[in-house]
Amino acid sequence: MDTRKLFLTAAAIVLSLQAFAQNVSDLIISEVMAVPDESSVVDGYGEKTGWIELFNTSQGTVNFGGCFLTDDPSDLRKSPISGIDRSTRLGPRQSVVFYASGHGSDGTYYTNFPVRAGSTVYLVSNDGRTIVDSIEIPADIPAGKSVSKFAHDYRAVIFDDVRTTSPTPGSYNAGGSLETGAQKVAREDPHGWILTLVSVSVVFIALMLLWWLFAALFGQKKKKTPASKGMNPEVAAAISMALQSEFGSEVYAAIGLALHEYLQDTVHDNESFIITIRPSEGSQWASKSQGFRRYPALNRK
Amino acid sequence: MQQIIDSLRQFWEFTGFYNCSWQNLVMIAIGITFITIAILKEWEPLLLVPIGFGMIIGNIPMFPGLNIGIYEDGSVLNTLYQGVKQGWYPPLIFLGIGAMTDFSALISQPRLILIGAAAQTGIFGAYLLSLALGFAPNEAGAIGIIGGADGPTAIFLSSKLAPDLMGAIAVSAYSYMALVPVIQRPIMLALTTNKERLIRMPQPRQVSQKEKIIFPIAGFLITAFIVPSGLPLLGMLFFGNLLKESGVTKRLANTASNALIDIVTTMIGLTVGCSTQADKFLTGNSLKIFLLGLLSFVIATTCGVLFVKLFNLFLKEGRKINPLIGNAGVSAVPDSARVSENVGREFDPGNHLLMHAMGPNVAGVIGSAVAAGILLGFLG
Repeated sequence: MDTRKLFLTAAAIVLSLQAFAQNVSDLIISEVMAVPDESSVVDGYGEKTGWIELFNTSQGTVNFGGCFLTDDPSDLRKSPISGIDRSTRLGPRQSVVFYASGHGSDGTYYTNFPVRAGSTVYLVSNDGRTIVDSIEIPADIPAGKSVSKFAHDYRAVIFDDVRTTSPTPGSYNAGGSLETGAQKVAREDPHGWILTLVSVSVVFIALMLLWWLFAALFGQKKKKTPASKGMNPEVAAAISMALQSEFGSEVYAAIGLALHEYLQDTVHDNESFIITIRPSEGSQWASKSQGFRRYPALNRK
Repeated sequence: MQQIIDSLRQFWEFTGFYNCSWQNLVMIAIGITFITIAILKEWEPLLLVPIGFGMIIGNIPMFPGLNIGIYEDGSVLNTLYQGVKQGWYPPLIFLGIGAMTDFSALISQPRLILIGAAAQTGIFGAYLLSLALGFAPNEAGAIGIIGGADGPTAIFLSSKLAPDLMGAIAVSAYSYMALVPVIQRPIMLALTTNKERLIRMPQPRQVSQKEKIIFPIAGFLITAFIVPSGLPLLGMLFFGNLLKESGVTKRLANTASNALIDIVTTMIGLTVGCSTQADKFLTGNSLKIFLLGLLSFVIATTCGVLFVKLFNLFLKEGRKINPLIGNAGVSAVPDSARVSENVGREFDPGNHLLMHAMGPNVAGVIGSAVAAGILLGFLG
């Protein structure tokens, strides 16, 4: 392996060690608890508080550091999320819970406003202006119940069903009955053999159909090659000599050489399989010669 | 005076010097190295210059919230990055590839299509191995597509199935495509006998313009009806080819195969470079992806060559296929076809396999797009 290939491999390895992150626009506010009861979860300080759940709808990691949560549309930067905390990365189809304790200084995952029934909670992008998502909390929401966004189809990842339900902080709002294609494959075909057999078969079938179609449409209309018409080097020479009377000797030589190579099967033009002596204006051959002077010129003063 | 000092301090906190970490500096140094090598040595400059400069842009330390970073919604870089994230760029590159590709070699010998299908086994071999190494099915599918030897397809599928792995997958695919001669030659020699290497294939027939026009339409209808999830790639590939072959849209074909593909290649290289992140510099998964990528190329080449040998058992003398074109089912156009030509001429200098190898080579492009569509349909 030469140095160039070694470098390319090394460069590729270096680049491969990177990862990609997605946009905060892939996040939604998936669930909010406004009025906790006795059965509600407690925060890190042992308090029963409301909470806000964010969900990453994408298949990539999203960094929500630097974003904002608020319940006041006139103050979109009300509760900033730390931009320097390394833990603010949310994996694909994962969720994270913020405790609405009213004390943002308690930690990264605490808001400095409590969630109230009848309010609307907003997730704001890290520019402090763009509202990424919002959720409205009914004024009459019972204690111990949360308002959640449900997806009817996880493959489409559209959470268009908002309802009041029993709280499920940190888990899918789909009751476990809906799943992505990958999750279904992981459950039904953990080793991948079924998908492999089906996929290889489909690739073969698709391309075999193409083969059969073209064989059926054009297979019987094969045009004979010049060689199969009985042309041989003698015929080629005769044609060339006949042309000599019309053109110069250069043309004779070019035609003779071209036909010779063609009949010897040494021409491998995969463009159209037609031999021509007509110069091609766009070809690499012509472009170089275009730059030459026809006759050498002497520098005379 | 105090106000001036406070203003200066505030300005200082906004600068890259204040927000800089050693990881940023390492990434910038790597970016500069890429550019230097590309300019001085002219090694893959079309790839390394945009990616190298993109790495520098993407790793300039900054205060979050200025709406200029690649992951900040609405920023210029973020808008350009949508082409990678949403998968716009790969189909546009396929449009250009379609406008550049001549399917004559395939149309004249349709049986060679099957070699392109056989070589796609590398994709699914890598899929199985990825699952065995503990990757989730969607990640395994994205890794497997490296075996399709097609950069745009790899970016398209990984952006849909496993965006976190897209960098490793894209670079792995491009790298092994560059290393095709190194990887394929020993496999081809190990799997063929001297007699097989000397097989001379019959001259392909001439392909009419009518056939060339019908091919992209019929090809698209068949493949898209079977695998609708491959629509963006297959549609653009065949559309680009129709522009080329129709004979009445020369300007559009020229734009697609020159200016458009150059612009998109620039954007994809730059934004891929920009999106590299310093804080995930060393991960075991990335190294596994590189190993799996290599294995996928090995499996694809092996299956292509062995398939031709199997196919030959059913063919009459004089119609047999030289197994040295089996590797060309790996759709690294035209590198793998060139490998067939070069290895073939080592044993018979008068035996030109290039035009025969171009058949499975372009069939591999169609096959890998179909395979990507299947994986997207199952795992998306």
